[in-house]
Amino acid sequence: MKVGFIGLGVMGRPMAQHLKSAGYDVRVWARRPETLVGLDLPPEATPAALGAACDVVFTMITSSADVESVALGPCGLIHGMAPGTVLVDCSTIAPQVARHIAEALAEKGVAMLDAPVSGGVQGAIDATLAIMAGGNAEVLARVRPLLDCLGKRVVHVGPSGAGQVAKACNQMIMVAAIQAAAEAMRLAAASGVDCGKVRQALAGGSAASRVLDVMGQRMVARDFAAGIEARLHHKDYGLVLEAARRAGVPVPLTAAVGQQLNALMARGWGHDDTAALLRVLEVQ
Amino acid sequence: MKIGFIGLGIMGRPMALNLLKGGHEVRVWARRAESMQPLLAAGAQGALSPADAAKERELVISMVADAPDVAEVMRGVASAAVSGLVAVDMSTIAPAAARSIGRELADAGIDFLDAPVSGGEVGAIAGTLSIMAGGSAAAFARAEPAFACMGKNIVHVGDSGAGQVAKAANQIVTGMGVLAVAEAFAFASKNGVDRSKVREALLGGFAYSKILENHGQRMLDRNFKPGFKSWMHEKDLNIVMQTAHELGLCLPGSAATAQMFNAMVGSGHGEEDSIAVLKLLEGLSGQGGEAE
Repeated sequence: MKVGFIGLGVMGRPMAQHLKSAGYDVRVWARRPETLVGLDLPPEATPAALGAACDVVFTMITSSADVESVALGPCGLIHGMAPGTVLVDCSTIAPQVARHIAEALAEKGVAMLDAPVSGGVQGAIDATLAIMAGGNAEVLARVRPLLDCLGKRVVHVGPSGAGQVAKACNQMIMVAAIQAAAEAMRLAAASGVDCGKVRQALAGGSAASRVLDVMGQRMVARDFAAGIEARLHHKDYGLVLEAARRAGVPVPLTAAVGQQLNALMARGWGHDDTAALLRVLEVQ
Repeated sequence: MKIGFIGLGIMGRPMALNLLKGGHEVRVWARRAESMQPLLAAGAQGALSPADAAKERELVISMVADAPDVAEVMRGVASAAVSGLVAVDMSTIAPAAARSIGRELADAGIDFLDAPVSGGEVGAIAGTLSIMAGGSAAAFARAEPAFACMGKNIVHVGDSGAGQVAKAANQIVTGMGVLAVAEAFAFASKNGVDRSKVREALLGGFAYSKILENHGQRMLDRNFKPGFKSWMHEKDLNIVMQTAHELGLCLPGSAATAQMFNAMVGSGHGEEDSIAVLKLLEGLSGQGGEAE
């Protein structure tokens, strides 16, 4: 099977390599050719050309606008992909944009799954990502062997856009948990108590969580080098808050956390890990 | 002055009427032809399109719903290619959108002002709106005689977009102000204290505000007729929050307030006045209020 991959950043790179290691014929397109250095994957000239050469195309890029332009733009996938082929978008974008792209592709007989992931760079490298898929169940069954190369847990959440809704829910819970861990660490430090000991004590109880484990440790060690860059969570919070607005659903905690992320960006920590929310609380 | 006026809704209609009363020659256009009738009856000329409304005019004013509408009518105005024209948008849109429309019009040789208003329908009818303008001083001077017919407190805030920044700031203060008064009333009632007496007591002190006085009275009367509709306040607070997101600006109070307005729209209070936030608060705290 011929598999296309677009978006060879920190997440996309290991994902493309897992597909190649599994024996698939992987080819790529990159907006910036320098991202292809050190990758033994043949490039195509445009997304359309890549689409024409492949049975399944993966995208893993940053913004709704970028996914839309790669899929539907002048040299976009839509101009090359044949009926019966599948686009799997692993990016985190707005649910309504995912639905819009899926509808446009469907008119050409091309299927699309929104399949955003959780698990970060380490999850991409270890092929242990959680994958939340939206779209047609039969299409998902067809590409499932490919997704199994990338992640451990693939859940079909519902129709087109449902994967992106699940990802938005994931981001709400995860970043709010990082903020809660940061506030706890800050309170401990301000009370003259050892943060590391507090984290250790909490790990055995009801407040235990993966966030407290991983991000909490970064806070204790004051190691703010990114896992996932905070600017990406900031971007995602824009999507979440817009989705809540469209649904007319109040999300008071998410809104408050969103303001802490705005402050983080304003202080210039967008390329640090989101654990840097602790530093926002320390601003005098 | 020869003025084109585009958009004849709740706000635009009385504003255009006040321009006529001020002795200006006004040509009007509205998407729905029937909206033009009251103006034609009062002596305005009717235009066939936004471009037609700008023909042989010194000034053209738009008062429409949202940024895409402003961009669309201003494209029409630009296509009329009237040299020396000043275009004024008095709608509430994002500062970034206003700046972008201003740049496009500048390319067509048209001076642009963003000049949103505060004061609601009452202020529009009475000609007592607050007008906050952004753009060049020369354009502001040209538009001032028209502003004087529609408003009282007329301020040239700064460069292009500055008027919309001031309006967004206005919506921060009024949004939180309405919520603050509603919370104070809920607090009083839950404590078994007469909220009308609390209002009366507060009016003499540092908590005095126009919102405590006017919106507070309407809360006491449980008169939720708009006024200023909740969904419009929600839209304006969304401009605030989007801008804060783009700039990296921490606005915790506005964010919390925006969520209350989000909840109002979601729970069917969007067409009511923004003071209906009181009902939401009462519901959250299990206070009867009125069953609505």
